[in-house]
Amino acid sequence: MNDATILSARNLRVELRSKRGSFVLTVDELDLCAREALVILGPNGSGKSTLMRAMAGLERPSAGSVTSVATGPVTMVFQRPAPLAGSVAYNIRVVFLGKNLAGAELRDRIGEALERFKIDHLAEHRAVTLSGGELRRLALARAFALRPAVLLLDEPFAGLDADGQAALSLDLRRAISDTRVAVAMVTHDLRRAMLIADRIAVLIDGRLAQIGRRDAVLEQPSTPEIARVVGMTNLVQGVVIDERRDDLALVEVDAEHRVAARTDCAPGTRVWIGIRPEHLKLDIGRGAVDPIGKGIVREVVSDGVSVTVQVDWAGAELRTHLMAGRGLARTLRAGVSVSLSASPKHVHLIPVTPAI
Amino acid sequence: MTRPRILHLLIAALATAACSDPIADEGDLLLVTTTSLRDSGLLSALLPVFQERTGVRPQVIAVGSGAALRMGRDGNADVLLTHAPEGEEALVASGAAVSRTTVMENYFVIAGPPEDPAGVRAEKSPADAIRRIADASAQFISRGDDSGTHRREVALLREAGLDPAGGWPGFVSSGAGMGQTLQIAGERRAYVLSDIGTFLAFRERIELESLSQPAPSLRNVYSVLRIAPDRFDPARAERAAQFEAFMIDAKTQRQIADFGRERFGRPLFRPLHLKSPSGS
Amino acid sequence: MNFPSLATLIEITLRTLAICIPALVISLAIGLPIGIAIGRRLFSGRVAVVSLINTGMGAPPVVVGLLVYFALARNGPFGDLSWLYSGQAMILAQVMIALPLVVGITLAAVGSLDEDWELQVRSLGVPKRWRLWLLVREIRLGLLAAVITALGGILSEVGAVWMVGGNLEGETRVLTTAILMYTQMGELEIAFGLAAILVGLMLVLAGLLTAVQQSGRT
Repeated sequence: MNDATILSARNLRVELRSKRGSFVLTVDELDLCAREALVILGPNGSGKSTLMRAMAGLERPSAGSVTSVATGPVTMVFQRPAPLAGSVAYNIRVVFLGKNLAGAELRDRIGEALERFKIDHLAEHRAVTLSGGELRRLALARAFALRPAVLLLDEPFAGLDADGQAALSLDLRRAISDTRVAVAMVTHDLRRAMLIADRIAVLIDGRLAQIGRRDAVLEQPSTPEIARVVGMTNLVQGVVIDERRDDLALVEVDAEHRVAARTDCAPGTRVWIGIRPEHLKLDIGRGAVDPIGKGIVREVVSDGVSVTVQVDWAGAELRTHLMAGRGLARTLRAGVSVSLSASPKHVHLIPVTPAI
Repeated sequence: MTRPRILHLLIAALATAACSDPIADEGDLLLVTTTSLRDSGLLSALLPVFQERTGVRPQVIAVGSGAALRMGRDGNADVLLTHAPEGEEALVASGAAVSRTTVMENYFVIAGPPEDPAGVRAEKSPADAIRRIADASAQFISRGDDSGTHRREVALLREAGLDPAGGWPGFVSSGAGMGQTLQIAGERRAYVLSDIGTFLAFRERIELESLSQPAPSLRNVYSVLRIAPDRFDPARAERAAQFEAFMIDAKTQRQIADFGRERFGRPLFRPLHLKSPSGS
Repeated sequence: MNFPSLATLIEITLRTLAICIPALVISLAIGLPIGIAIGRRLFSGRVAVVSLINTGMGAPPVVVGLLVYFALARNGPFGDLSWLYSGQAMILAQVMIALPLVVGITLAAVGSLDEDWELQVRSLGVPKRWRLWLLVREIRLGLLAAVITALGGILSEVGAVWMVGGNLEGETRVLTTAILMYTQMGELEIAFGLAAILVGLMLVLAGLLTAVQQSGRT
């Protein structure tokens, strides 16, 4: 990413006081580059929306600052887009209040915004009658009408059904690439994140826990908490042992369950073994490469598209996915013994820090 | 107590209340009087004695004399206690009232600011005093509500050869009771015709003085009228008669003679039925 | 007693309007901005202020009348103004009665907006002046409710207006006090006639406002 930084947060500290107590967001350094998509992940209450609002200039920090050197406006689309009383077109028109735009040009800009998100047919409808998905599109159309340089999105897909999410995601991606706007997005949906993100930032408890390129964060979370947030849900503790296999270190959970990985950790180090579900492979008897030991299938759940398999492995619950309809998926049942394998390049080790 | 019993009691109470005669509901005797009489406080002194002696509960409604006479004419009262002799006599003549008995009297006063810009004090005759007020275009607050006091104003104006509706710039009609009219006069430093009782009660508060002298044209006679009952109800007629008798009873008349002495240093009324002089 | 002349009826009706409309305009001019300002902001002591307003909304008009009477009486703190028993006193009392209503209803209207409303509008880059215009436009139905309520209260007020105005013929007599007076005098026909005018007035004014309100719904 060679593009220049257009939005910077430095030494940011935002304090929120509510009935439930106070909450502090601390971000020492966060940059948003032009034309990049930054996805912000984190558990509920970790401060993602607060960070968004601070970046949008809507939340006054008690320390530090957010500076924008963008050539266009910084705008935010909220989780609950509140429609204004009036037609859909009116809702877009308010964006141009106070800016001298004449009749024809105004109409064109409004039309362009509506078409971008395919709601031009709703132009004269009263905004309060729109469905949830249509309201989202209105909010996005409104934001893009501004021709922003930075777009901040707070959970843009929340509450939409699968079809709605897919369609909106498509239109949004096209809008982003058409306008080359920089995007920072908060979402819970990991798959969306993976599709859109250039970089990922993880917030935990009001602090920026990790930020980096998408794959780096997804594959190499620096703590177990971050691992859970980024979807590396298979976490088991083990110990690096003195044996090696080929050129790789071995981590042992017990004698029957050993995992090969690339690491510099010395033997005897206690580590978390992290394997993303998509990188955990099942095998019924054919002889797998990179075996890690056997497990017993606990549960097989299919949603018609993919099958989630929960396996009891060395006392831990591991999860993996299969495509529905494939041979393996059809024969799996609870109680069946399976061999599991994982390629060492997909095994991530996090040293266990002693609890203070 | 079990729930059904409470329910029964409740129903019984409601039924009793519903069955009673609606007028009798509000008291045993519907007494209509004027606001000035009520404001004087005389009724508050006399009526408890009446109730104790006879067991009859009086329900008092105070309105202007005109309204009182109308209520009598329409049969919406058992007794009237008013001070509008002409209207009262008409009521008897028409048969709406069974009897008229005078009870007591006092005198109206023309009150005004102590500095008396119109020079009312100098006049012995009330009508001349009013003419002075008109000539000076001084402020005069009229009752304007067809009450006994208002009718007296009208009579005085006529006697003075003036328009009964005033006609001079300072003439203001309040359409209100005596107390309110006096307060307006006090606020405006104006002249006003008032019954003595209400005036004395308000004098200090409004800082006005009595500027007139007792004269026949200011004489104010109070009478009890028994209204002809429109339903055959001997009990009501009986109670009305009891009230009439009470008002001219010696003890009551003595009480009337003393009323006001404590508070104002002088009595407000002169009873008309005392056999021996009361030494007021 | 004769029915008041047409001239008298017109005079009383015009005076009623001359008292009620200024009272309405003043309470709106003061109350709407205050209601919007309080509604938009959070500040320490807000709960106390809102409680005060709610109390004011429920305050008996006759108590307000008493306070105004006391303040304006000759011996009172503002006796020098000589406003008692004049139109100014009546307008003052009406404004004091209607003001909490206007503020309270406007407050509620602003409160009905989404919490994030202001933030969203700000994030769209709407300039400050236009934000206020947008806000008013959003809550215009609520504001209209405030106007209608205040108008109703002001037109029907009788006790406070009687107390501080005195119902003086040709000076401070309005429809409500005239109706009260004639009823007390037993002249019910006259009272009914005046009542008809008053109700007619209310129907016309309320009808106009309601038409405006309903047109906003289409």
